[in-house]
Amino acid sequence: MVQHAATLDAAFAAVADRTRRGILERLGRSEASISELAESFDMTLTGIKKHVAVLEDAQLVTSRKTGRVRTCRLGPRRLEREAEWIEKCQRLMDASFDRLESLLERSKE
Amino acid sequence: MPGTTTRTTITTPAEREIRIERVVNAPRDFVWRAYTDPALVAEWWGRGHRLVVERLELERGGHWRWVEHGPNGVYGFEGRYREVTPPARFVRSFEWDGMPAHVAIETVTLEDLGEGRTRIVILMQMHTPEERDGFLQSGMQQGMDAAFAQLDGLVTKS
Repeated sequence: MVQHAATLDAAFAAVADRTRRGILERLGRSEASISELAESFDMTLTGIKKHVAVLEDAQLVTSRKTGRVRTCRLGPRRLEREAEWIEKCQRLMDASFDRLESLLERSKE
Repeated sequence: MPGTTTRTTITTPAEREIRIERVVNAPRDFVWRAYTDPALVAEWWGRGHRLVVERLELERGGHWRWVEHGPNGVYGFEGRYREVTPPARFVRSFEWDGMPAHVAIETVTLEDLGEGRTRIVILMQMHTPEERDGFLQSGMQQGMDAAFAQLDGLVTKS
């Protein structure tokens, strides 16, 4: 449970940043080198490397170096668990608001 | 992405925030009462467990304490009202017995959409990202409890 919580923490922290979400979307279309990413996001190589490192820590991205080029792609872990988790919370709240609506129906009777 | 569509959206717009939004088929005055009349609150709020509204002092500085009696125990939610502006908005501190002294600030805004519909927007602001994730996780845990409780109900009936 603690391990589970730690990976969720890392993943949520990783996607709490607009540029990092952009990188995930970009890599969802195709793999890209650090310099390609830097160009797409109009950032320095150092800046992009930092973002990629955060995504790698959360296992959302992997990268490998061939010669002088580091290529990034989506990692083994996707955001399914996070999506599933939020969806469970949504269902829970949905049920609660449904009860509120049916309360109105009953109060009309 | 799994599953069926839900009408409630939960987003995490910033590291320390949870935003919950839902449009309900109920006029705004009624939704306001559903949040502020103890008898009505007990009928819908929370996760479908029995809810006892121990305190609901609807004024600035007033206490609220709503206690859920679930299959795995008794847990209270409580805090104090910071701002009460009927029928559009209230702001209160929010603390769950399961995470004592981790206080969030909850802002509930009710937007009148006309034709008997209301948009409810709940913004929860925590002190740290860890607290935010803790709140989300406890929500999931409670959801599973609710599912098991329903299963128990079915078994008892059959």
